[in-house]
Amino acid sequence: MSSTEPSQNKTWELSLYELHRTSQEVITDATEIAVSPRSLHSELMCPICLDMLKKTMTTKECLHRFCNDCIITALRSGNKECPTCRKKLVSKRSLRPDPNFDLLISKIYPSRDEYEAHQERVLAKLSMSHSQASLVNSITEGIKLQSQNRPQRSRKNQEENTNTPNANGIAETPTQNGGGTVPAPKDGTSSTGNPTPSVQSTSNPASVRSTPSPVPSNLSSVSKNTSTTKRAKSILTSERSEESESSDGRTEGENSMDTEGEGEPLNPNEIELVFKPHPTEMTGDNHLMRALRDSSVRYLKTTANASVDHLSKYLAMRLTLDLDAELPEAYRLLNFCIYVAPAPGQFVPLAGSQTLRQINDKFWKVNKPLEMYYSWKKT
Amino acid sequence: MAATRRLQKELNDIRQSGLKSFRDIQVDESNILTWQGLIVPDNSPYNKGAFRIEINFPAEYPFKPPKISFKTKIYHPNIDEKGQVCLPIISAENWKPATKTDQVIQALVALVNDPEPEHPLRAELAEEFLKDRKKFTKNAEEFTKKHSEKRPSD
Repeated sequence: MSSTEPSQNKTWELSLYELHRTSQEVITDATEIAVSPRSLHSELMCPICLDMLKKTMTTKECLHRFCNDCIITALRSGNKECPTCRKKLVSKRSLRPDPNFDLLISKIYPSRDEYEAHQERVLAKLSMSHSQASLVNSITEGIKLQSQNRPQRSRKNQEENTNTPNANGIAETPTQNGGGTVPAPKDGTSSTGNPTPSVQSTSNPASVRSTPSPVPSNLSSVSKNTSTTKRAKSILTSERSEESESSDGRTEGENSMDTEGEGEPLNPNEIELVFKPHPTEMTGDNHLMRALRDSSVRYLKTTANASVDHLSKYLAMRLTLDLDAELPEAYRLLNFCIYVAPAPGQFVPLAGSQTLRQINDKFWKVNKPLEMYYSWKKT
Repeated sequence: MAATRRLQKELNDIRQSGLKSFRDIQVDESNILTWQGLIVPDNSPYNKGAFRIEINFPAEYPFKPPKISFKTKIYHPNIDEKGQVCLPIISAENWKPATKTDQVIQALVALVNDPEPEHPLRAELAEEFLKDRKKFTKNAEEFTKKHSEKRPSD
């Protein structure tokens, strides 16, 4: 059963395979045997770098193979043992070069450089495609984290000052100033830097728009309770005003929806959502999709009582603005059909009057941004 | 550098093999040395939930072993309250550079499915596991229901 090495008293247990194997006939005629590269891969691979063996070294006792560079690094890193089976390797002298194996590899892969370049491309492509998927993921996560961690700033209030009718805005301003805030200078970029070029011209005079910049940035931290109730009230106000002036109402949507990345704690009156093109109805050859290219996915945060109609108007407005130069006149003021996808591949079209809260409660439930899809309706 | 290249290969292989018991692998593009994923055990009492783990690879990988910690609380004799897990295959004494991450994950899944009360990190749970299996199972099930993550649907 066991063969004993003469000098030392070591025994070698033979495996079943070793017990039963017989020597193979050498193939001398022209017989060819096809072997898939996949099955060879594990034989020709260095278990340390997982690449194809390069300048093969074999351990003298246990006969495991490694790249020269890899096994040298392994020995230097402190562990004086075989990386495959942990048998003692005293030093480099426990290894021998294996030029036959290198020859074998160069016979099987005569153009090794080409093979490696190919591997490189496959790897790059794989990690690329994955990183795109994970990018979307991490953006969503990032938005969520931001909204949790960001300092409580009162952008909301500022917005409402700009949007709500004057009487309301004036009434609120003294309360805020009287709240004892230190009027810290604000950079103003968050609101004025917003890409809302044509908004001023629609309903709000430019002077109202510009009010947010001098207002101190950390208002709502003063008295959270009063500001939330106020907030709820003024949302309703602006909601009503939107209904009444349907053509200009988009400015409200414009402002409240575009707060992504701005200072605002996520409160129960708000909903985050990811807006994507409908996968089948908005395919690559769709004219709009071609024009949109990378900017077809949108991240929004808005009030939970905004309705699907609001969203649809917002989208039309937003895309028209974005594509100003690229869109032919005929495609202006688009109508959108909006869907929610409670399960992958299942798209439920939404009625215009439903609010985001209703949709969220009915279809979504999980604690992550609501995912919605849009498709373009020809009118 | 060597670690990065090998980890890229391992990650691609694992993703392509589509392991049922280890899912949703997330790796920060800027730091491939940290992986997160969802352990989805098959055996009761853990088969009602999924458990997020983090794998941290040292810069010397594969010459030094990775470290695994549970991000989801779990009622398990071999995993402590801090999420540390005692897994022989990645202990410094047993580590072999030829060990691949998929083997480590398989060993971890096997340990979660079948606790080893002989080498416990939480002696009181090991004792309960050995002496009153019914109670252990009930506790672990309740704990799983309360703390674990949702299992992927497919």
